[in-house]
Amino acid sequence: MITTLLEPFQFPFMVDAMIVGIAVGAVCSVLSCYLVLKGWSLMGDAISHAVLPGIVIAYAIGLPLAVGAFASGLFCAVATGYIKANSRVKEDTVMGVVFTGLFAFGLVIFTKVKSDLHLDHILFGNILGLAPGDLRDTLIVAGLTLGVILVLRRDLLLYCFDSGHARTIGLSTAFLHYLLLSFLAVTIVVSLKAVGIILVIAMLVTPGCIAYLLTDRFNSMLLIAAASAMGSSFFGVYLSFFINASTGACIVLLQAAVFLTALVFAPKHGLWAARRQRRLGSTGTPAEGRGAA
Amino acid sequence: MIETLLTPLQYEYMLKAIFVSAVIGGVCAFLSCFITLKGWSLMGDALSHSVVPGVAVAYYAGWPFAAGAFVTGLLAAVGMGFVKTKTRLREDAVIGVVFTAFFALGLLLISLYPSQVDLRSIVFGNILGISNPDIVQVLIISGVTLVVLGFKWRDLLLFCFDPNQARALGLNTTVLHFTLLTLLSATAVAALQTVGACLVVAMLVTPGATAYLLTDRFGRMIGIATSMGVGTSMVGAYASYFFDGSTGGCIVTLQSALFVAALVFAPKHGLIGQRARRRAAALGAGATEAPS
Repeated sequence: MITTLLEPFQFPFMVDAMIVGIAVGAVCSVLSCYLVLKGWSLMGDAISHAVLPGIVIAYAIGLPLAVGAFASGLFCAVATGYIKANSRVKEDTVMGVVFTGLFAFGLVIFTKVKSDLHLDHILFGNILGLAPGDLRDTLIVAGLTLGVILVLRRDLLLYCFDSGHARTIGLSTAFLHYLLLSFLAVTIVVSLKAVGIILVIAMLVTPGCIAYLLTDRFNSMLLIAAASAMGSSFFGVYLSFFINASTGACIVLLQAAVFLTALVFAPKHGLWAARRQRRLGSTGTPAEGRGAA
Repeated sequence: MIETLLTPLQYEYMLKAIFVSAVIGGVCAFLSCFITLKGWSLMGDALSHSVVPGVAVAYYAGWPFAAGAFVTGLLAAVGMGFVKTKTRLREDAVIGVVFTAFFALGLLLISLYPSQVDLRSIVFGNILGISNPDIVQVLIISGVTLVVLGFKWRDLLLFCFDPNQARALGLNTTVLHFTLLTLLSATAVAALQTVGACLVVAMLVTPGATAYLLTDRFGRMIGIATSMGVGTSMVGAYASYFFDGSTGGCIVTLQSALFVAALVFAPKHGLIGQRARRRAAALGAGATEAPS
């Protein structure tokens, strides 16, 4: 029994996958707290799809793939901002047009570039087949990103909550805006290997939502998000070993399960608590009414 | 040269693909006018990803793929609505959580029982290999969507522009809301066949957005969007013969190119037009200010 449970740890590729999953989970979840507050959840979706042409072009001209991915991810964000500012089309529509355009363009040039890139790995991740340098690269980039976000966490938080106030007290909001976008692009590039383009959006939204249901304090929100994401990553990789299923899908489904639990049982903002409060409220109202009168 | 260009048209599967793409492209473009006005673009993206578990289950169970897809699409839409009204989370975050969970569930099912469903054909579409029963399903979906839109477009238009006035006029906005959501799910399922889950949102957004840049009249917007949808889908399906069958990529790249052209050159709302108007306004202001 115990031997079976410990079996995954005997394989180096499983241990690597768990470490990378936890690192990616940590950096994505911290960023997700800001995205959820800022209302940028779907910006993550857009940027993650938009990295495809960058990857293909970088491969074709021999640049590191991460550089191409980062550049085209940022291009998507900047183009969305520009078109929104200069036309009457709504932001969500612009986002849809821009990221699908880039993704489609990526698909078309992919067919014309002879490569040993696997489209499946870009889309769904390949965490169980990491190359020797991948573990080191992921840890370095994830660590640096996490470090900078945590150092600047107060400025970023103020920008997300109330950008007007941030400007009045002398912070450069344009700088913070592009900084956050760059973090988003870097994080997506780092996470591609683990969960792939399509599911990275879950890593960038769900932990923040879980934490936002459970607490009203930003610091505890960061901790809860990170804990739920790192836990889901670890158990997702672990579980996928036994049921022989897609690792990315297992990680995301575990996160979704935690979200559902928080949705129902969260002490203050959960469905259950809300119902109890309503019941208390409805019996409490007449008394209050009398008191006021 | 000409011979090379005509080669695709000699194959029956190419002609079939061009025809079916044109139908789907037209219907999606028609609907896209409502979706862009309503601001539901990302709902289209979310629904197209949410149908994946339904497609997987339908294949295992031997149902028509459209039935399964449609059910999970609607489940996801209802789930999003529920979570949004019951919590303090923003709508975009709720959409993100729900659709990724559905998509992951689909991915899990497919990875557990790999032989049955081809993941690539769900994610990228497979119009060049579409089977006849699937064509029938797509045509039924398109026909029903067109009929509903044809009869209800005025009500839906009012609902998209100004739900409060629609309610004041005695229209049942809840019914209209679900009608539009149902049509969106249905067309997302149809478009999945042509361009795949990742690019469905383009078919449901780009033609409407392009037409919106070109005209201020809704009737004309529908005309422009639909002809653009039909045209790009036909040319894209044809061109995909030369691009290793990446039909979705070709269609959506074409649509995006037209959008960029409209963005720059649209007579009234384009970048050049706006700049010219601003300059004219500045000159005009200068001219009127000078005498005073």
